Amino acid sequence: MAEEKKAPTIGRASATEREPSSSEKFYFWLAPGQVVNPFDIISVEHMEGSRTFGLVTNIRQITDAPSHLSNYISNDFGNVDEVANTPRQGANIAEVGVLANDGDIYMPVQSEAPVAFADEAGIHVSLGIDKMPEEARIPAGLITMSNDTRARVYLDARYVLGPEGAHVTISGISGLATKTSYAMFLIQSILQTVGEADIAVIVLNVKHNDLLVIDKPARGFSPEDHELWEALGLKPQPFRNVRYLLPSGKDTQTTGLPNCFGEPPDQFQIYAYSLEDVIGRRDSPGPGLGLLIRVPDPWDTLGALIGEVQQGILNQEPRWREVRTWDELLNGPPLMDKGIPQKFGEVAASSVGRFVRVLRRVVRNRQSGAFVQQRPRRAVNLGDEIRKIKGGQTYVVDIAKLTDEERALVFGHIIQEVYGMYAEATIDEQAELPRKVLLFVDELNKYAPAGRGQGDSSILEFVLDIAARGRSLGVVLLSAEQFMSEVHPQVIGNCSSRVIGRSDSTELSESAYRFIPQDLKAHLTRLDKGELLLAHPIYRQPVKIKFPRPAYQAIGH
Amino acid sequence: MANPFAGLRPALEVIAREAEILPATGQALEDLMRPDQDEVYDRIRTGTDDRILDVLIETPNKGTYISVPPIYRPEKHTFRYFLDGSARTYFIGTAVEGNRQTPVHVAQIGAVAVFREDNGQVHVAKSSHKMLLLMDRDAVSFGPKVEGIVKRAGARFDFVNLKEDDAYTQGTGVKEPRSKAAHKANWRMRMLEWDIARELSRPEDQWLVLDGGLGSEFREWRDGRQFLGVAKSFSREPQFSVRGERGKRQSLNLYQLLAELPEAHRTAAFSVLSGTVAVWYVRLRPQKELDYPLMGVVKVEYPNPSAEPVPSDVINELSRALVGERSETPHGRDVRWHAHLYGIFLAEQAVKNGFLSPEALKAGLRWPEKARLSAPSGRSVI
Repeated sequence: MAEEKKAPTIGRASATEREPSSSEKFYFWLAPGQVVNPFDIISVEHMEGSRTFGLVTNIRQITDAPSHLSNYISNDFGNVDEVANTPRQGANIAEVGVLANDGDIYMPVQSEAPVAFADEAGIHVSLGIDKMPEEARIPAGLITMSNDTRARVYLDARYVLGPEGAHVTISGISGLATKTSYAMFLIQSILQTVGEADIAVIVLNVKHNDLLVIDKPARGFSPEDHELWEALGLKPQPFRNVRYLLPSGKDTQTTGLPNCFGEPPDQFQIYAYSLEDVIGRRDSPGPGLGLLIRVPDPWDTLGALIGEVQQGILNQEPRWREVRTWDELLNGPPLMDKGIPQKFGEVAASSVGRFVRVLRRVVRNRQSGAFVQQRPRRAVNLGDEIRKIKGGQTYVVDIAKLTDEERALVFGHIIQEVYGMYAEATIDEQAELPRKVLLFVDELNKYAPAGRGQGDSSILEFVLDIAARGRSLGVVLLSAEQFMSEVHPQVIGNCSSRVIGRSDSTELSESAYRFIPQDLKAHLTRLDKGELLLAHPIYRQPVKIKFPRPAYQAIGH
Repeated sequence: MANPFAGLRPALEVIAREAEILPATGQALEDLMRPDQDEVYDRIRTGTDDRILDVLIETPNKGTYISVPPIYRPEKHTFRYFLDGSARTYFIGTAVEGNRQTPVHVAQIGAVAVFREDNGQVHVAKSSHKMLLLMDRDAVSFGPKVEGIVKRAGARFDFVNLKEDDAYTQGTGVKEPRSKAAHKANWRMRMLEWDIARELSRPEDQWLVLDGGLGSEFREWRDGRQFLGVAKSFSREPQFSVRGERGKRQSLNLYQLLAELPEAHRTAAFSVLSGTVAVWYVRLRPQKELDYPLMGVVKVEYPNPSAEPVPSDVINELSRALVGERSETPHGRDVRWHAHLYGIFLAEQAVKNGFLSPEALKAGLRWPEKARLSAPSGRSVI
């Protein structure tokens, strides 16, 4: 390693009888007045001229007072104004988790070894970034330390986009954890560094119209914001080549406007679901009625009926030939006769009635306007559009104003299409696909919940398969949720990178967070907005990062 | 790391070769000092002539109790140096030569002076540590030889003849060699303190506080200035004759004198040793918070070689500075915390940090095997 200016010593390693150093952990006392914070990365001189790097996980102050009572008594039995001629002897002791040694020596740090803040090069060694090929580096944020040192932190593309690993999960308290902002920043980072030509992005907008302006440059972007982007080696630019797909609403037929919050983007397309769109065609099955019937069905009675209905309509069986619209399905034969549900095959009339009631509630009584009797020409089939996606394109599918069942339908439809494109396509078909597709979904816990029996099993199946095989398929899931513990453990387990914003202590006590050292968990409850904890397979410990404000317009509401 | 006891090994080899050794149980047994040993030493230092203190050695004050509200460091930083020593004595066996015998002890002694900066932070100003080998040199034939070896082992080592008396052993009246060892080690430790006190280069306004009363070595220190002894344990024997409220003399024992001493007050300064030492008591802490009237009180010994009356103002200033030293305390670390100045406590900790642990001592100090030491010709084989 080139001769470098020696960083000032801020303390010395300290091993004691009760708290020895180990290969994983050591302690050091701080020079008086020295400020160090959790998540700082330090460097300590070690054997054979090597350096060990560690992450500060906690800092304690110790004194020679054996109890608080001694301190109380020492102040003249509780006199708050007492002046101590000789201040109580004390020291600030930092606990450090070992990250790496640049000589591959993992002997315990020796007591009295000088400790200093790590510089950027040292931080990269500590995180394994120095061994990452340049072309695999994706800027993921900045580490900022107590001595104002900043260092770029990279994710290894082979562990984000495959083949070694894939997927990113982002969790934290809503409104504080900046999950969506980080996901969009990371997507932009991937596009700028890996190259957007081969990557397609599908993003679901779930909150207001937050993501309906991602192609517009941010307003009031300060020089500091610029500087942060440039510090990461990225250009602060909005998304390019964006297609907005917005749902049809109840008034769309008359106004021509989509059902979205605020003003729609300049360019958009409206999607809607007729009966045929949901059931599909023989050569191109749709998402299916199963996504709309989200009620308990322990004997799979409704499931069987759905199967019959879909088969009948798909195959244009004689008794289904007149059923082309929702109204015809809900009101006419073969399921209904003059408003009375009919027995259908082995399915009792009462079950048929239940099916019709549930479906009517979803597609007619309580729908937002996404379901239409006939899809107008200017509205598109979402699946058809997804199949057209090309590298370099970003699709934003708005579901903010949809009901829960409609959201499940849209997400299920998208994931089914993507899975079909990448998992079931022929070699020739695959050659025309973008090399990677990034799919960002918020509230993943609704579609891939942790508990048994919750949610739709068909969506869950696709999500689990993508989670497990995505790294080789080329499908990368970026998910956001308030509670990581509520997402299916197989999905979380298959996410190579985990990002955690401010979270509450109850959630952090769940087993999903057991990969975080106990001391660091306490700090997660105090993270500021824009501060995140990043865990990545290459890093030995999670690190705290900051990231820049999105470079597209922010909507205030 | 080299064996820190290496300097004593040749001496042990001589002893082991010349005598039968009865090793101490567990290799070395620490000779513990009783907690009131300081009280015993205080009695020894004071002597028997001053059992009744009836002469005041201050002017102009004539009262028995004087208010001394605290002065704290930010206002006036009086005490800058704090000096304390410590000794740990270990019995390592008995050397038997025919019908003669001597106990053999090893002691670690040390003394440290700490200096307090303007901001209250302390650091070591001077320190000294030694290792002693103690035995009755004249009880066995090889005693002088052992003494010579130890004295040549280096400045860090020294030999102590248990037979010889010093101020402590004379004062305690202990004759039995094994019982004398700890006292003799303590006396040598006191000599280390004396050396450090003399070697400290102190500006005029920087006072030195010694733990314990002033022995003869300090009283006879002609060049010494700005120092005093503060004892947290002291003899209960003195009687006092003071003037009461109506001018009538009354006799008080120590308990009676101190029971009426209010917080942040001092007693009158009494003449001891023909006025060459002024002695008074200061109550640092309110009695109501403590278990016993003598708790929270320190005895101050002020060297007064001229034997002239000491200005009361000087005594008041020093007493006020002492009351100001009552915070922090080593509460929980020392049973005498109520009268233990924190600066002295830190000096004591610095001394003890320089000692090797009993485990290191037991590992480093092993009696050599006799068989290995003797060849058929009778010469040693090492």
